[in-house]
Amino acid sequence: MKRHLQGVIATHEDPREILGVAPNAGDEEIRAAYLRKVKENPPDRSPAAFERVRDAYEILGDPRRRALHMLLAADPEAPLVSLLPARTGERRFTGPGPWLAVLREK
Amino acid sequence: MFGKHKQTKTPPAPPGNMTEASVLVAEEKEVRVMLARGSTKPALEQAKKIHKRFGTKASEALLLDAYLARIHSLTEHGLAVEAKALLELVQERYPSIKDKAADLGVKVALRQGSWDNIVAALNAPVIAEEQRAAIERAIKCQLTDLSVLAECAALAPQHPLRAGAEALRKAFEAVTSGPVTDDTLRLLEISHRGPLGPWKTLVRAIAYFYRQDDVACQRYLEAIDPDSAPARLVPAMRAMLAPRPGEHPLPAASRLLLGRVGGNMEELRSAIQSLDVALASVARSKIFPEIQRTISACRAACPELVERLQQHIAIQATRSRLHPHRVQAAMGGPAIQNAYFWRLFARSFECTSNLLAVEASSMWEQFRQHALAEGWFRKDGPEAAALYLHMAELLLDVPGEELSEVRADFIEDFPGYEDTYQKQPPAVRAVAAKHRTPDYYYLFPEKLFERSCAINPHREAFEQWLDWARQEPDWKAAERVAESWRRALPNDSQPLLYLMESAENRGALNKAIGFLEQAEKLDALNPEVRRAALRLLVAQAIRHLRQRKPHRAEQELAELGALPQAQEADRPAFLAALRWTACVIDGEDKAAWEHFTRVSRLLGSAAAAVLVCRSAGDACSLEGREVNRCLPRKVTHDQTDSLAGAVARACALGDDMNVAFTIPREFEGEIFKELSNDHCSLEARQLRALGEAALRHNLRELAYAASAAGLVRGGASEARFLLLRAQALPSREFERRSDCLAVGAELARRQRDMTLVEEAVDLQRGRGGLGMDFLDSPVAMDERDFSRTTEQVNAVLKREKQARTFPLAEPKPYYEPIDEEDEDEEEEDNRPSFGDLAHLLLDLVKAQVKKKVAPGTGHAPAALKGGATPPVAEESQKKPGKKRYFENPGQGSLF
Repeated sequence: MKRHLQGVIATHEDPREILGVAPNAGDEEIRAAYLRKVKENPPDRSPAAFERVRDAYEILGDPRRRALHMLLAADPEAPLVSLLPARTGERRFTGPGPWLAVLREK
Repeated sequence: MFGKHKQTKTPPAPPGNMTEASVLVAEEKEVRVMLARGSTKPALEQAKKIHKRFGTKASEALLLDAYLARIHSLTEHGLAVEAKALLELVQERYPSIKDKAADLGVKVALRQGSWDNIVAALNAPVIAEEQRAAIERAIKCQLTDLSVLAECAALAPQHPLRAGAEALRKAFEAVTSGPVTDDTLRLLEISHRGPLGPWKTLVRAIAYFYRQDDVACQRYLEAIDPDSAPARLVPAMRAMLAPRPGEHPLPAASRLLLGRVGGNMEELRSAIQSLDVALASVARSKIFPEIQRTISACRAACPELVERLQQHIAIQATRSRLHPHRVQAAMGGPAIQNAYFWRLFARSFECTSNLLAVEASSMWEQFRQHALAEGWFRKDGPEAAALYLHMAELLLDVPGEELSEVRADFIEDFPGYEDTYQKQPPAVRAVAAKHRTPDYYYLFPEKLFERSCAINPHREAFEQWLDWARQEPDWKAAERVAESWRRALPNDSQPLLYLMESAENRGALNKAIGFLEQAEKLDALNPEVRRAALRLLVAQAIRHLRQRKPHRAEQELAELGALPQAQEADRPAFLAALRWTACVIDGEDKAAWEHFTRVSRLLGSAAAAVLVCRSAGDACSLEGREVNRCLPRKVTHDQTDSLAGAVARACALGDDMNVAFTIPREFEGEIFKELSNDHCSLEARQLRALGEAALRHNLRELAYAASAAGLVRGGASEARFLLLRAQALPSREFERRSDCLAVGAELARRQRDMTLVEEAVDLQRGRGGLGMDFLDSPVAMDERDFSRTTEQVNAVLKREKQARTFPLAEPKPYYEPIDEEDEDEEEEDNRPSFGDLAHLLLDLVKAQVKKKVAPGTGHAPAALKGGATPPVAEESQKKPGKKRYFENPGQGSLF
């Protein structure tokens, strides 16, 4: 049964976030994002990041696998702490708002 | 007021021995002390009096300093209008103050919030250097929002300051929003020494910060002018690069920035971990404060995670049966019931029990509606097809008859999800409102398969659909599926093979051959097609022989003779047996004996030849006397040959040709003897064929003996013989039978033989010929239910290998449990786990107690609404026989 593939496919990291594509991104958009990410994270310079990108593309590149992942990625039994970004020291982009707030603060 | 100052007065004579100059110095000192104290108003009054008395350059300088101090004080106190008026008057009266007042003028203008007024001076063809410097200093030190300058109407769009501010604004936005290339950071139009230089350095520092190049980031931070506006970000950035606990606390905005960027996640992580522990524990009172603490920490450190966290908490609280209102209060609002929520909820239900498949499917439908509205996928996209297929698979886990009943209950009682949307945002409510008219398509596998295959016609989807349809009582259902498959994927041979098989089973052999010809055109090398060609020609020949038309059968036999696959293995022996049958019908006894001799030669055994010819004759409806006429009355059996081997070989041939062979009664004793011998030389394949032939004729003892001989051999075929053992055991040995199936499935799973696993599942369900007994589960099961440890597998194998004798006596009242240790462990841990709750849900559903819900009352199942202590309605307890739904009044949302 496909539901039993959960352990294989489910990941707490959203492959769309890794590739930086919208939820409704199509094949071409996903491939373009993959190539862009590979360029940003070449395997010789950042192998770990490259592997993440490659794994994400393996899921999203195949429309059927992508669709199945979309359904089964959510794990209701996962500990809540798994919702936090897995990597420590991650620096998240916030947009200019919080940065400008510091400048404006007296 | 200022007019008074225009009159130059003669200073009064100094008292005593003091000179005029010494008096001025003394009074000036007094004024400067007042200015230093911030008493600008009395200081100005005093300075006016001094200047009136002395009228010297020194007294004027003192007066101007007092004016500047006064203007500065007015500005600081928010009296920008007054400060501006005073400054203008002073500038008019004392033009020499202009240079000194340049910075102050900019400051006053800034206080009025008008960059336009400040930078407008830059448009003048000639501008004093001091004024330009003051403006640039203001931009450098006071400008905290680049868009103010970038959109400043007082400057022309192409003005270098305005264009530079626009370029920097874009770059700043880019580096704080995502990874950037070096091109973004180049910013050639911005000079490092210009007023916007610190911004350029800041942009680069942020870019290198996100690139995790901390050394470069530090270098750029050090290069930022400490008096400039961008320098205000330096302490926060240094804290993010190297947090130093106990250092001077950062301002609120800086702390918020740290939290957002990720430098302050530890507090949130700790809060969530505590909540996880609380949710897993029995101490429910701790859960609500922990939820509150977690949500607060999340709002501070990672606001974008709050919505998702609330949704997960809501789902976990449902499973823990916490009171929804209290959960909602602790979370500070309801979880948003959008697509993400429904997906999580549906997953939660489908993972709990396959008896909740109908509810789970209804939740997937909610997910589909929201996902379409939120643009997750198109309604005719591959995701939608996968979803329909998944919903169908869920329903297939419920046995057919059970599904019909559960579905009827659901349609009758389920009021929909409208009530749960009451406290939801308008956008979410709008989606729910759009689908008010109920469409229960999601409860019917055939409709789901049809939708899935219409969107994304795929072989695997059609295979699943056809597998489902084949279980349906109406054989035409499967034919319709095969026809749909054929239309959608005309190059697939599988639907043709099914249609051929179906026609063959109905005896429509000509039609079957027509389908076979089409399949051969598509894929002549397909082994299925090749096997089908052989099987159909054999069936056609047998039919003609049954109709006593040996001349017609001869045509098929000639075609069979030309088929390469008919020459493989023992198949020529079977063709010879068919020719023997044709000769018997024609009365050509001599030729019949010749064919019998050929069969004997090909099989290497007269006994096997008798079995094959007799079985072929039976298949062609020959009468007993006809059969016996051309077969030896007594088979001479050489003691060195193996009768069991010969019979097994013949049975394997029968299986291959799709003709059921009968083991003659007179052979049974000898075969038993051989199988009981420790040195039985039969191959696993032969033993299996022998065992299965024995099962077909209900010769359980013989099948049991074959399984015993096979199990003794060990190796990869142990799984297969355990299944044979399970089928051979009498029904009273249900526990042993169940063990054999479970361990056989476990071994098959380890060997990745999924066909055998499925066979075990079917046998346990009672589909494989074992029949149902009272221990057979009414719910569907799959390979997961057969999971066994290595110790359990070894124990069962050892026991079954030792049990070589067919169990004639009644079994012991209690069978040794194979998972005794697990039970002990459960006793030690008395805490209710999610597994317990899942079992409780199962028990509830199994109880099938139904409460009649009055129309329009809008009651959802308790499991959906997650009531902490769902009231088991008294009425429902009085009406057994149907599923139970709980009342949970006043519920505005799921959470």
